[in-house]
This record gives sequence, structure tokens and C-alpha cells, in this order.
Amino acid sequence: MTLMALFHESTDTAEVIDELHNLGIPDHQIVVITGVPYPEGALGRQREWLTLPYIVLAGAAAGMLFGLFLAVITPHLYRLDVGGHPPVGFPPAAVIIFIFTMMATIVSTFLGVLWEMNFPRFGPAPYHGLVTDGHLAVIVDIPSQLEEQVKQMLESHHAHHIGEPEWMAL
Amino acid sequence: MPEPDHSPLDTPQSTPYDERLLLAQRTDAEINQAVLQPMMQTGMGFWVLVGFLSLVVVWGLYAWGFLVYWGIGVTGKNRPVYWTLFITTFVFWVGISHAGTMISAVLRLLKADWRRPITRGAEAMTAFALMMAALYPLIHLGRVWKFYWMIPYPNNRLMWPNFQSPLMWDMVAIFTYLIGSSLYLYLALIPDMAMGRDHTNGWRYRLYRALALGWRGTEGEWHKLHRALGIFSVAIIPIFLSVHSIVSWDFAVTIQPRWHSTIFAPYFVIGAVYSGLSALASILVVVRRGMRLQEFLRAEHFNALGKLVLVAGMAWVYFWFAGFIVEWYGNEPVVRELIHEEVAGRLSPLFYLQMSANLIPIVLLVFKRIRTTPALLLAATLLVNIGMFTERALIVIGSLQRNDLPFNWGTYRPTWVEISIVAMTFAGFALLYTLFSRVIPFVPVWEIKEGRLRYTVRRIGRLLVPTAAEID
Repeated sequence: MTLMALFHESTDTAEVIDELHNLGIPDHQIVVITGVPYPEGALGRQREWLTLPYIVLAGAAAGMLFGLFLAVITPHLYRLDVGGHPPVGFPPAAVIIFIFTMMATIVSTFLGVLWEMNFPRFGPAPYHGLVTDGHLAVIVDIPSQLEEQVKQMLESHHAHHIGEPEWMAL
Repeated sequence: MPEPDHSPLDTPQSTPYDERLLLAQRTDAEINQAVLQPMMQTGMGFWVLVGFLSLVVVWGLYAWGFLVYWGIGVTGKNRPVYWTLFITTFVFWVGISHAGTMISAVLRLLKADWRRPITRGAEAMTAFALMMAALYPLIHLGRVWKFYWMIPYPNNRLMWPNFQSPLMWDMVAIFTYLIGSSLYLYLALIPDMAMGRDHTNGWRYRLYRALALGWRGTEGEWHKLHRALGIFSVAIIPIFLSVHSIVSWDFAVTIQPRWHSTIFAPYFVIGAVYSGLSALASILVVVRRGMRLQEFLRAEHFNALGKLVLVAGMAWVYFWFAGFIVEWYGNEPVVRELIHEEVAGRLSPLFYLQMSANLIPIVLLVFKRIRTTPALLLAATLLVNIGMFTERALIVIGSLQRNDLPFNWGTYRPTWVEISIVAMTFAGFALLYTLFSRVIPFVPVWEIKEGRLRYTVRRIGRLLVPTAAEID
């Protein structure tokens, strides 16, 4: 079963997460939702490993290759010789390669982070509107035999709105 | 000597800092409402402004249509003045766009907390200024339908665009910056769209829900958003430096006297920062009053922004002088003629307007009272942009009137078509900004709440001072 509880304080939230771990509930069955980004480690959770930097690097490399194609290859595809000028020069090629590398870096960062967050995702999901009013929400999957024990523990840490989470259309 | 009269030590509420936003005893729900409420209330003045700006835009579109129908001859463009008010205003708008990145990316990397309430306004200014700038190459073409020749594909007779041309660099650089700044603006907006979704209904709810993309605020989402914004902040800085450098190379790679200069790129960049930061300060003063955001945009923000404008202004003076002294000492005949035209000839009114409008604000902004009084700051920063527009006009139009062939010297007068189109982009920018401020939370709510996590009041000796925690 799934339980949701709301908290006013981050300290209470961090203590609850510790106690859930002590009850044998693994980290991946606990979701914490906040309206503010808390510093790393503040709630006693492990950070996810991200593929975003690799996506960005791949995007940058693709952009550089595309810039290289435009600046170095295309002048040879329809060659127009202008007196005294080589078909390809280093300074103009450097500008074009740089710009396309940066453009692809930016675009791949944006697309990469959406992909990592699995966005857009408009379906119903466990959520509470009070989160953006400053409350911290803990959503936890627990075996049903632990329900009463977990509820008591949540209440002892000043949780409110304890119960089955509402699946809201986001 | 008598002891100074300190505030009571035991009551942090009575410190001189207790009115600061990051220390204010406001709940998150109250902050949400303080940002959302002004967006919902649109009085008669708002609609009068929107109506007026729309009329100017429509008139400008008519003028553009007139230009397309009759051809580029309806402008004052001639030989030798082939770049005129359009390119002048193009350079001006690209310059204005530079403050968004300066504020958002640079100050985010430096962890300057005073940036928090003003980042979104700065990013929006960048995006809208670039949209206006991007119109000018199209307008300047005359035959706007030939634009597709610049898109990088083998378009006509299987010819590719010429990437050796600075005009192609210009196009791809501006589009890169426009894409980058728009995505940067949007990415940082997603959590506030979720906040809007949770507190509105009707069309606003549908809009915010679509833009929030399903954001909930899980730890993973915050972590990924922070990482992406960090990458953006690093990646967009070289783009912002390159864009105005490339615009300057449009001029500097020619052999036109006064343009052919190695200092043009940094000179353009610092001028852009000076002009962009000033425009941002002007806009913030106006929006603060129009949307009653006095609690969010406070004296400390204007003070810090004013100092940045001051530093950028002093740097601009240094770069201007570094270019001028070399030209003056070189004493090349055409350059000498151009300098004479500026200092004592027909261009002198513009030259002295440029210098006074750029130098007087530097003197004014030395005083804290000017920096922290919105009306005075508005006057000083508007003056800067009058000066910077004039500077661009002197560089583009003034320099082209003289060249190495004296029989080919000439003058330029703008026509009603050019003036109308320039007015269209100023009105279009103001219109976009006005509408934006009523649809999108002007203050980045989540960034302000995040900043509040960092701040507390700490006792140092007999003083209680605000202190920021060192957290990422």
C-alpha cells in the first residue's frame, strides 16, 4: 500500500525518512516532494546518478561535427572560387564550428533533462497542492502489515494529512 | 568619544535587515499570493497601454509591408550609407539582450543571492530583445521572402550558404543565443508553473499545467533541474560573449575606416553589458511600480544593479578611449575627417550627446542615493541607453558617410518607413514584456524560497548581521 504524509519542517521529514529506513523500507520506495530545492543530503537521501552530462557531451560532439560539415565540407559541394581566397579558411570555420557546438550543447541539455525527468508527464500522479505552499510530502510504499506502525511514527513526527495519496492530474 | 548607539542585541526582529525579503517572516503561501495577485489584476491603465503599443506595432507592420511592396528604395539607404537605422537598432537590441545572461548565468555561478528576484525579468528581456533584433536582418533584406537562402541547406541550384560570410555567422549566432536564452528562461520557469497550476483555475490553470510538464517537485526533479541550470549557466556565457563579438566582426572585418579595428569585439561586448544592465534597471523600476512588487524588488537589489552598471560604464569608457586614442594618433586621412566630423562637424551634436549621456550616469551612479532611489536610477539608466543608441548610430551611420574614395562620400536621412519600423520594435518589445508580466510570475518564486533557506541573522560582536549558509 501507499501512504502520503505532509510536514511543516524539514527536520521532521529527515527523521521520518531515517525511521522508515530503520523499518526496512528501501530508499527507492520513498518519494519526497517539496516546493523548494533542499540542499544535497538535507533529507538523508542518496543522490541519483545522472546521465545528463553524457547526453550533453554527446550533443556537443554532434554539434561540432555538424558545424565541421557546414564549414569545411559544404564549400566543396558547390565550389565557387573567389580570387585569392581558399574555399575553406580556419577563422570562419572556427566561428561556425564553435557556434554549432554551443547550440547543440544547449539543446541537448534541455532535451536531456526532460528525458531524465521523464517529461512531459501529464497523467495522474500522487501529489498534494499544499506542496507549493511550503509543505513537504513523503510518499512511501509499505507492506500493509506495517500500516499502523508507520502511521504512528508519522504522527509522532508532527505529520498531517496522513493517508492514501490523492492521484491528481498534473 | 561616545559609544555608538547599537540596536538591542537580543531581538533579531529589530535589526536594520528585518525588512529584507530573504529574512522576512512570510510563509510560502503568502509569497505565492504576493506574486500571483498582481498578475490577476489588470486595470484600465494596463489595457490602454496594451492598446497603444499594439497600435504602434500595427503601424510599423504597415510600414514594413510598404517597404516590401515598393522596395528598399523607400528607405534612406544609399551609396555609401548602405547600413542605416535598421542595422543601428539591430546592434542596439543585441546589446540590450546581454544583461539577461549577465545577471542570470554569471551571478548564478557566483552564488550572488541578490540576483534572485530579478533573474526572470532579465531572462525575459534577453529573449524579447533578441526577437526584436532577429527581425532586422529580415527587414533589411527588403526581399524578405529570400530569407531561406540563409538557412543551412542547399537551397537554390543546390548552393549552400557561404559560411565564410560574417552575415552567416551573425544569423547562426543570434539564433543560437535566442534558442539558448529562451530554453534557459523556460527551464527555470517549470517549478513556478507548477505553483501557478496549484493556485489558479480557468485558462491560467490550463496554460500553467501544460507548461509545468507534470512537475511535482521530487528530490530527483530538483536535482536534475539544478544540474541542467548549472550546465546552461556555463554554456551560455561563451555564447553571450560570442554573439556581440560576431556582430562587431560584421563591421571589423571590412576595410571601412573606423570599423577595421581589433578592439571592436570587446568594445561591443562591454557596451552591450552597459546598455543591457541599464535597460534592465529601467524596466525593473517600471515593473516594480506597475505590479506593486516593492516587497520583492528592494533598495538592495537596485543598489547592487546600480553598482554593476557603474562598473560596466567605467569599462566602456576605458575601451572607448583605447580605440579612440589609437585612431587619433594614427591620423589616417579618412579617420581624421571622421573624427573632425564628430568633434567639430555635422555629427558633433550626436557625438556630444553620446558622450554626455554615457558619462553623466557614471558620475551619478557613484552616489548610493541615486542607485537606491528608483526614479533617479530610472533617469540615469534611460540616459545610458540614449547614449548607447547614439553611439551605435555614430558607429554604423556616421562612419559610413566617409570612406577612402572622397567622390563617394555622402549623407543619410531616415525616412518615415524606417522610423516607423524602429518604433514598431520598441513598442513590440514593450508589448511582449507587458503581456509577459501578467501571464508569467515575474519574480522566480522558487528561487526566492530557496534563498530563504540560506539566510539567517548572526551576531558578530555587538552587531546582528544577515549571514548566508554555504550550500549548493
